[in-house]
Amino acid sequence: MKKPVRTIPRRKFLEMSMKGGLLVAATPALMNQLISCSPAVNGGPGLDTDKSVLDKVIAKALAQGGEFADVYLENRISRQIIMEESLFRSGLYGIRQGAGVRVVVGDKTGFAYTDEITEENLMRAAEVASYIARNTDTITPVNIAGAERESFITVEQPLNQIADERRIEIMERANQAAMDYDPRIRMAKIDYYDQTRGRVIANSEGLYLRDELPLMFFIVETMGDDGTNRHMSRERISEHAGFEMFERNTPESVARRAARESIAMLGAEDAPAGMMDVVMENGWGGVLIHEAVGHPLEADNIARGIGAFTGKVGQKVATEHFTMVDDGTIPHMRGTINYDDEGTQAQRNVLIENGVLLGYMTDILSANQLDMKRTGNGRRETFRHIPIPRMTNTFIENGNDKPADILASTKSGLYVQSLSGGSVNPVTGVFNFTCREAYLIENGKKTTPVKGATLIGSCMGVISNIDAVGDDLDFGPGICGKGGQSAEVTAGQPTLRIRGINVGGSRV
Amino acid sequence: MDYKELTVQLVNRCLRQGADAAEVYLQTGRNLSVRVRNADIETIQEASSSGIGFRVMVDGKMGFSHSNDLSRSALDNTISRAIAFARLTTPDDSNVLPSDTGFTDVEGLYDPEIARVSMDRKIDMALALEEMAMKDPKITHSSGASWGEREGEVFIANSNGISKTYKSSMCSVGVGVVAQKEDQRRTGFESSSRRFFADLEPLEEIAESAAQKAWELLDPRMVSTQRTAVIFDPSVAASLLRGVIVAINGERVLQGASFLQESMNQQFASPLLTITDDGTVPKGSGSSPFDGEGVPTRKRVLVENGVLRGFLYNTQVAARAGTESTGNASRGGYTSLPGIGTHNLYLGTGDHSQEDIIAATNRGLLLKGVTGYGINPVNGNFSGGATGFWIENGRIAYPVEGLTIAGSASQILNGIDMMGNDIDMNRAFASPTFRVAEMQIGGA
Repeated sequence: MKKPVRTIPRRKFLEMSMKGGLLVAATPALMNQLISCSPAVNGGPGLDTDKSVLDKVIAKALAQGGEFADVYLENRISRQIIMEESLFRSGLYGIRQGAGVRVVVGDKTGFAYTDEITEENLMRAAEVASYIARNTDTITPVNIAGAERESFITVEQPLNQIADERRIEIMERANQAAMDYDPRIRMAKIDYYDQTRGRVIANSEGLYLRDELPLMFFIVETMGDDGTNRHMSRERISEHAGFEMFERNTPESVARRAARESIAMLGAEDAPAGMMDVVMENGWGGVLIHEAVGHPLEADNIARGIGAFTGKVGQKVATEHFTMVDDGTIPHMRGTINYDDEGTQAQRNVLIENGVLLGYMTDILSANQLDMKRTGNGRRETFRHIPIPRMTNTFIENGNDKPADILASTKSGLYVQSLSGGSVNPVTGVFNFTCREAYLIENGKKTTPVKGATLIGSCMGVISNIDAVGDDLDFGPGICGKGGQSAEVTAGQPTLRIRGINVGGSRV
Repeated sequence: MDYKELTVQLVNRCLRQGADAAEVYLQTGRNLSVRVRNADIETIQEASSSGIGFRVMVDGKMGFSHSNDLSRSALDNTISRAIAFARLTTPDDSNVLPSDTGFTDVEGLYDPEIARVSMDRKIDMALALEEMAMKDPKITHSSGASWGEREGEVFIANSNGISKTYKSSMCSVGVGVVAQKEDQRRTGFESSSRRFFADLEPLEEIAESAAQKAWELLDPRMVSTQRTAVIFDPSVAASLLRGVIVAINGERVLQGASFLQESMNQQFASPLLTITDDGTVPKGSGSSPFDGEGVPTRKRVLVENGVLRGFLYNTQVAARAGTESTGNASRGGYTSLPGIGTHNLYLGTGDHSQEDIIAATNRGLLLKGVTGYGINPVNGNFSGGATGFWIENGRIAYPVEGLTIAGSASQILNGIDMMGNDIDMNRAFASPTFRVAEMQIGGA
């Protein structure tokens, strides 16, 4: 059944359509309807905790001193079904709920959490968190009040109305499509996950926010084996959306994309080693910039004075082709959040514009420390974690080059079609990436597939060496790890060329 | 509440609600972490939590559910969710639970002293550690020092009569510093983690090591692309060998997704390579009396002088392979099904000190840092980023950074030609220094 959609202002609609090229409709009312199911499901008081109790908890948290306090209540219901070797191996259902209380005084943070959301436990958590603020000046918290904004997360088919048989059917379709693709596909693994995450955030500035984020995550892994070579590939789709995600992206298409790579890479030769030009295909390749530039632009290390981009706002840090944005409001993308986990409204943040550094991504703490504005990037993995600056949907803006011209004008080098992931040291800016699907470029053409290629370099080096940016921006979903916390993100980029990256391979 | 009794009761409740077999895994834990930076507290986090996971079989089909709400109504609901989910899955004869009620006695898993040490003393230790690491004039910034501790208890019961529990603790203290020279920044981090408070390494040693790691790689040079010897420092050996461990995971072997699936009892690596997994090491950080589903742990030689001697199994995968569990069921916590993993893994040592190995190397790379995923367990390829020291004429010549190293598992593992004697058994993956005779290096 389709839910009625609310009219959204024309300007907003245009903005959203332009950003994602997607037809969207916002349905904020739906969120509340879904969340009301949670307490009945798990039988606990959960997110229905009275506002006056939260007021008391915040007052308690600041009783010893401190400048800011917040309470974060969470309830998460998840389902996961795994199909491997054409068998449904297991079905998992999970309930996780709890609350965290935080007190901030200057650069210091005190934090405690509880699994059981009762007034008694919340007050005890507030007391533990307040330990940090002993003997400092106190402030009087403002009584909390509601906050509202339009949702960028649309749901047509709510997850709690989907029969498990429909989830199973989607998985069977993906498995069949993978196995039918080619007899050399020897194994497929289908991982279906969905989650409904309800949040209540209240703080000493008077904020009270209650919302709900649905999340879909669908992964197909396939292994190709021709008797000599073997290649495992993985294709993922993920959105903050309802079950209608599979209408935008069918399970068959996901499976075929995975299978295509598994077969294509069976013919791979050893990758060359040494410095070379690299053309990165549009989409998830943006994760390289996510690691190499995004993490060093998160404000926590900047506030500590140790980030690679410390003190460089207003300076030219990249070539003029390079504009980079973090935007938590792109409709239903995996990194979209409406509000961050501190209740700050997500927004479009242009980080680097035509090569000039404009700003960092902040949470409340780092914004205070740096005397900068809050950008809506304070995220936490669960109620058991403190918020830290994190990316949402991070991408390089379109340039003017045609992808085909970028390739044709590259005499020799490496064409990277997909990356499996990588990491960066945010202090030094040194990054590494493993290529999953890559090809040699010879005389402006993609030729032999190569295996075992790693890209390494430094963030400053890579953004000063991007000399061509395509007009085909696309995104890919991912999981980003930092400080022991993971966050749902997307990374995006148009096709682009980086002159001179060090490539690790086993052939000279 | 008596959790041991509760898990047994809940197994029975699963059976009453329609399960043919059931396992209940309950975990409780307490954590404290303190982070200091620039001689002041940055964060203090403290909490305790608990949760419970239900694995049920219905007509040979498996379902799993978990909840951290331990109220009776929530648990009843969670059990019925597991049973309902089991009905969706495919029947499989290997969906069985262990029945070994034995218990390996492992000493030194829990230290009550950690909780008794005052918060102020823990904060002071972190502050002192940071101060010591910053003493070196080459160190310009602090990334912060931290104290961390956790203790927890695991309770497992199943419908084959298993009812087991154990308690464990862990504490750690660490520091990160930055050495800056003009535009160059280098980071160094060192920590010490132990099950017992009294066993933590002296703060001076941790601080010195962190500082040295930060400054020793200043002013790195680049070398040309070439084939040369690579000496793996103990701290980086694990990153190379992780893929070998995944490749002997019995499930991946059954799925045809391991480069070692045809190698049982064959020589696939240098005779210098012996790998042992042991869940019974006293005070070992990977030790436990039983694995993630209650099977007693033991010591097993997995690779003996380069010959593959064993795969790793949990109960379900062992049943599928027609063998017995090796006590290698690993569990991420109450929220996950048992997978397959190792306990304390270590390499057999050789005769040489690291100095000997360097001295015996005319030209090559002493590898101190490696980035990337290590050996790919599916096809055996390896490629990663590398930092370390360049060796010329048997001596360390200068630091290098931004290199890549690559090869196939077969070339690398067969190429091990010197094995060190410098093992630190306090790590869950312990290795001495070893040398690979020749690898491809990517540079300028």
